[in-house]
Amino acid sequence: MTLSATDVSVGFDGQQVLQSVSVDVEPGEVLTVVGPSGTGKTTLLRLLALFRRPESGTITWNDTDLWALSDEERLRFRRRLSMVFQEPSLFNAPVHRNVTYGMRVRRSWSERLATGLREFVGGPSLSDRVETALEVVGLTDKLDQNALSLSGGEAQRVAFARALALDPDVMLLDEPTSNLDPRNTAVLEEAIHSARDRGVGVIVASHDMHQAERLSDRVAFILDGEVVETGPPGRIFESPRDPRTARFVDGELMYEGDEEGGIQATERSPSP
Amino acid sequence: MVAPLVQFADGGWTYVISIIVVSLKVSLTAVGLSTLFSLPVALLIAFTDFPGKRTVTAIINTGMGFPSVVVGLVVLMALSNSGPFGELGLAFTPEAMIVSQFILATPVLMSVSLSAVEAVGKPVRDAAYAMGGTPVDVGLVVIKEARYGIITAILAGFGRAISEVGSILIVGGNIVFSGGESYTRTLTTAITVEARQGRYEIGLVLGVILLALVFVVNGLGSWIRSKGRGERSA
Repeated sequence: MTLSATDVSVGFDGQQVLQSVSVDVEPGEVLTVVGPSGTGKTTLLRLLALFRRPESGTITWNDTDLWALSDEERLRFRRRLSMVFQEPSLFNAPVHRNVTYGMRVRRSWSERLATGLREFVGGPSLSDRVETALEVVGLTDKLDQNALSLSGGEAQRVAFARALALDPDVMLLDEPTSNLDPRNTAVLEEAIHSARDRGVGVIVASHDMHQAERLSDRVAFILDGEVVETGPPGRIFESPRDPRTARFVDGELMYEGDEEGGIQATERSPSP
Repeated sequence: MVAPLVQFADGGWTYVISIIVVSLKVSLTAVGLSTLFSLPVALLIAFTDFPGKRTVTAIINTGMGFPSVVVGLVVLMALSNSGPFGELGLAFTPEAMIVSQFILATPVLMSVSLSAVEAVGKPVRDAAYAMGGTPVDVGLVVIKEARYGIITAILAGFGRAISEVGSILIVGGNIVFSGGESYTRTLTTAITVEARQGRYEIGLVLGVILLALVFVVNGLGSWIRSKGRGERSA
């Protein structure tokens, strides 16, 4: 069950954002795509989540080209993935409705109606998976609270629980701890490792090298829409082969612009 | 023996109740059909890019100011015996009034719904898609997120329909059966009749009933919206 992007390229408004990028994740592996902000990490995750078709290259699940399938067949594969965004993007509904959303859309319309009626009569009916997912992020006490009234950190944890509850084969996590304090960052990192140990393939996009070191089995360093090098975190961060990786590791590269606009890596000006 | 404050035409309260029923039946049906039509169209316009999108939006907004008598005239021409839909025999029926109210309510409903669904951010749609939602599921999430704006749109459409007089007078004919029961007479058209005959006090009573109906419907909408605000801050 390897999810792969092979030689994928994509652009927006005439700007090339990804150029011939290849990454893959095996079951039970954490791959962190690391690089400065605005280098195409989110775009790569969105391609892997099948939000859009790459302009060239393929997204495959084992040997199945997912964009060669019909919409219906692709939906079956899409439902084996889950994604957490940098912004939690929760719905204006109680936490339990947010976490059960993915499960509800996987049911037939008649089952959805029956569940809706059951909930209307007897309150929320949660599966073990939902309770476990909320337990993992320590938010079982927020079950009935409206998701829009949560703090940024709580919302991010609910977004993670929502993805975890789907029991996916592959999780795509875009800066999953950007809103979290150190304690909750540790909770989420532990949850990511626990998912990996259950055989889930995890791809994390992060600009945080230390987190990449803690989390990853492999790191792909991305710059200017290209994967510069891939390897174990120890090797990438301690003895990078590409001089651009070395400059990033040494804190000499900074980034300007946004992901879908004109982005350029620039040398950081030397301190006076 | 105390004289009644107002003396209705033939049929008394039967007459009044029948015009209330016709008013509500015509307006609620028109607004219901308009909602079923406007919501999917608003979603389609909001979330697809096509050439002329801004022009289409401008036309919808312009439609909010359609003069109702012109709409009535066009609908009557279309439904009259010599018109393209004359064979349906709908001229001077409640169905013709529903058609004209549908045309008047739709731009209001669509324009306000469009603003409401456009306000639902792309991240929410992306989240629904990423959780395995089909395009229909994503559309339903957007409708649910925009529910309070959509309720406002429905109320605005209902307000436009129930208070309308020009077009339904033309296409409905303001008909009352000989027993005093309304066929196509509504509260608004009844008020014009009473005013023309100088029976202002009866016109005023009908006006108060009309206002009460609008108040009840809007009060219901406000209650639903306030319930939503309560949910958010819970």
